Amino acid sequence: MEVIKNPVKRAGEQTLGQLYNTGKVRKRREWRGIKDTFYDYTRWLYLVSVLARFIAVPRNIKGFFRYRWMANYLGVMHGMDKFTIGLRDEALRITHISMNYVIADVTQAIANCFRGDRRVGNDVEYSKRCVLTDENSMTCFMMGFDKDETPAILREVPTMFAANIFNQNSTTHYLDVAQQYGIAGDVCPMPEAEAGISIEDDFCVLGACAVQNNTTCDGSLMGNGIIAKRLEREYGIPTFQLGTPLRHTEDDVQDYAAQEIKNAIAFIEEHTGHKWNWDTYFKCAKRVNDATRKRIAQLEINSSPYPQFVGACFSLYNDTNYMGNCGRNEGFVKKDEKLLKLAEKGYKNKRMLAPEYRHRAIIWGVQPQYTIDMLYWLIQCWGIVPLADMLSLVNTKMIAEEDTPENREQAYYDMAMLNEEMIMRNHTHGGYKVLVDELWETCEKMHADMVIMWEHMSCKALTGMHGQFEEQARERGLHLIWVGHDLCDPRVYTREAIRNQVNLYMRAVLREEPLDPSIEHLPDDNAW
Amino acid sequence: MKDLKHLIYLENLLQNANNELITQAKSEGKICVGYLCENSPEPLLNVGNAFSVRLTAPNSGSMDIATYYMTNLLCETSRAILERAVEGGFNFADCLITPDGCTMLNRGAENIELLHAMGKDNDKFFYQYMEIPMKADENGVALLKVQSENHILKPLHEVYGIDISEESIRKSVADHNEICNIIRQLGDFRKEEKPRITGYEFAVLTLATYRAPKYLLKDILNETLEEVKTREPDEKAYRARVLVVGSEGDDPEFIKLIEDTGAYVCADRYCFGSLPGRDPIILNDEEDALTQICRQYTMRAQCPRYMNMEKVYGRKQYVYDLAKEYKADGVLYQQIKFCDPWAYERTLGSAMLRDDYGMPVLSVDRPYNIKSSMGQMRTRVQAFVESLEIKKIQGGAK
Amino acid sequence: MSKVLKILLKIFLCVFGLFAVTFLIYFFNLDMKATSMIEPFLIKHYDNMERKYYL
Repeated sequence: MEVIKNPVKRAGEQTLGQLYNTGKVRKRREWRGIKDTFYDYTRWLYLVSVLARFIAVPRNIKGFFRYRWMANYLGVMHGMDKFTIGLRDEALRITHISMNYVIADVTQAIANCFRGDRRVGNDVEYSKRCVLTDENSMTCFMMGFDKDETPAILREVPTMFAANIFNQNSTTHYLDVAQQYGIAGDVCPMPEAEAGISIEDDFCVLGACAVQNNTTCDGSLMGNGIIAKRLEREYGIPTFQLGTPLRHTEDDVQDYAAQEIKNAIAFIEEHTGHKWNWDTYFKCAKRVNDATRKRIAQLEINSSPYPQFVGACFSLYNDTNYMGNCGRNEGFVKKDEKLLKLAEKGYKNKRMLAPEYRHRAIIWGVQPQYTIDMLYWLIQCWGIVPLADMLSLVNTKMIAEEDTPENREQAYYDMAMLNEEMIMRNHTHGGYKVLVDELWETCEKMHADMVIMWEHMSCKALTGMHGQFEEQARERGLHLIWVGHDLCDPRVYTREAIRNQVNLYMRAVLREEPLDPSIEHLPDDNAW
Repeated sequence: MKDLKHLIYLENLLQNANNELITQAKSEGKICVGYLCENSPEPLLNVGNAFSVRLTAPNSGSMDIATYYMTNLLCETSRAILERAVEGGFNFADCLITPDGCTMLNRGAENIELLHAMGKDNDKFFYQYMEIPMKADENGVALLKVQSENHILKPLHEVYGIDISEESIRKSVADHNEICNIIRQLGDFRKEEKPRITGYEFAVLTLATYRAPKYLLKDILNETLEEVKTREPDEKAYRARVLVVGSEGDDPEFIKLIEDTGAYVCADRYCFGSLPGRDPIILNDEEDALTQICRQYTMRAQCPRYMNMEKVYGRKQYVYDLAKEYKADGVLYQQIKFCDPWAYERTLGSAMLRDDYGMPVLSVDRPYNIKSSMGQMRTRVQAFVESLEIKKIQGGAK
Repeated sequence: MSKVLKILLKIFLCVFGLFAVTFLIYFFNLDMKATSMIEPFLIKHYDNMERKYYL
């Protein structure tokens, strides 16, 4: 592709490598010029206030000392710094607005867990109203329940998923527990770590019932059994397994999928005593459609020469909005609007995130949370712009949002579709077309010349198509960079080992020099 | 014991995916349906003029090409099958019908399709992928029925003109049951204190029923059954009776390895085994045959991808019940390395059988072709058998 | 100097002081440096907790 040079010199820090040392955290924060440093500082203050409000509640302190995974939240600010490296102007604001909201959402999720947890807050009345759901689960089956009356508790999000963003070692202890128990070391470490948390009895215990899902893979499906056994047999919390078809693009699986949603709703009604409310559902449906439109609009901007809302924060924000929230939180509507306005402004002003753009990349596969700053590093170090990632390319269809008798029946199919089109599964399952062919379609749509292929070594759905990716990328003349990793186990692939795969390709194959040589190699393998 | 008359013939038959009985059936104008997973309703693959062959890759060695396409991080079963397909070893099949059961086998099949590795010189060759239920309930039965109609019966009828009428399906079930009844009768001899058939022999016989047209095996199996009925068992006592549970097991050498240590494999609860794979399908006249077949496949399935908790607990209960019925001293849980479903099932199963049911358990992972890891596996099995033997000597002390 | 001005000056000094302190903490990453020092003690605490390892 043609190199695009940024006519505006970045304010403040030019060589980002000087911020790093071999410790757990960075030497200091980035100097971004007066305006952006001050903005970053105010957002830091905001996050301090969020955390201070959280820790001011006595039961949260109790929870902090009860649960090992809470230690990972010592690194929240460090995690936030990882998302903002080298960013200025609109991009900095977009990242802060989206990620600050995600952090606030996770903080609330932890507070909710502790409130109902039998060992910490033990608010029995509250606990009786709650429904536990999987970490990776699309929560559309909760759309017809009032979010305050029947809260959905995604207890695995703060325990495992989000924790790994803030501390790369957050799961290693639980992986050891699971493997000590007998689970093989070659399965996906995400469900394995969750199983380890359950084996060690380190999940909060609350809820009237739990809904599990065959979320993204065989490992995720199978980890449910271990977790459900403890929930049911030890804590008496009934579990429902929501079966979602794998071949989700086929018409002949949709009746099954819709019936599963109906059964899940009936199960929740039975155990919480709360009734499904169609008015609540259709309000949520409107918000889901709104979020879908905004997400599509953001992707359109990203397909232009001046992408704005990029990087890991794009997928994490979408993940929280689309799956964890699924229309139930009005707050996301305003955030979506604000984010889109900022992106449009940035596009209009031709804002760039780096001194130059050399390659436009689609990020495919599953990102390792512990190198969450990798995509920003790609921009700053090599001028590779991550336009869209596989996890953000979820549902694009509108669902029925008017309350009519026909739409009430259609709603089950819509929820089934949202569930089937949830992150990761909509590409990793459903046949090779949604994984392989759709990658090339996305490259074309987004005008990409490069694919950063996260090769999660324990993700069988991805690695099972290794050769096809390789051959078909070659046929299309696309640069495909394999970036192997082990999702949330940094002991297998360290951060430096991950980045080095890109470094090698850029130097050996493309013969390019880094934009910022100070960050080509970073001493952050021991960092949080 | 006296050697079984047809054992060597059947052993030789299993040495190649494309065996002489398949060639014979094809020469008689039959349509060969290749399939990969135990969740496919077998009688439906054998309707009318069709016969099913479960694809395996015996004596697999190098898997270089498959490893290039699927990396060395996927299970060897899926890689071995892809490799064999690329080598042209499955060109005898007229179609490939496979459920999207486990991800890896599914990816293996998709790579076969993308590489056009099957169906050489057959313009009518087709691939079909099925969705199969994850839960044993009526919704699951309905799904399996629709999937069987759309991805087995219709394509077979439309492409090869195969009779898929109710009568044809019922006849297929009757033929299927005939084979199941023979295998079941042979299997029952394993309950004897001094069994008249070894676990290895039984594994060869059972495996042959997956790997060759059943109608051509019927006489051989019947003759073998008569032979076993009057066979004098060995006087020697086995050191321990072991129930083998786990993932795809199409290598009888693994059973042989266990028995070479002095143990007796008294029951087989693995894919390609007889429990529940060779349970007859009982049909009534009130409901159509297709629904009944699908219901029985859904309800009896022991595949770990069935995730409702009744199934999760039920699988362990099933293993325990088999252990009691077949008088097993211990349970051997095995999985092909890199198999996700069985990695978890093996762990939970081992823990529950040991802790909740008080059964001694050995839990191992293994390669596809056991010959590549004989020594290591033998050491582990020997130690387990020895521990079971000591327990017996000590009067069952735990 | 009027009383009002003095109060305003005090407020300004307080706010500025607060800003200066928090900005120094922010810029030199003192918050994270402090929490990273706490972590080993917390891990030791979790390691010493009694656990039920069975399912």
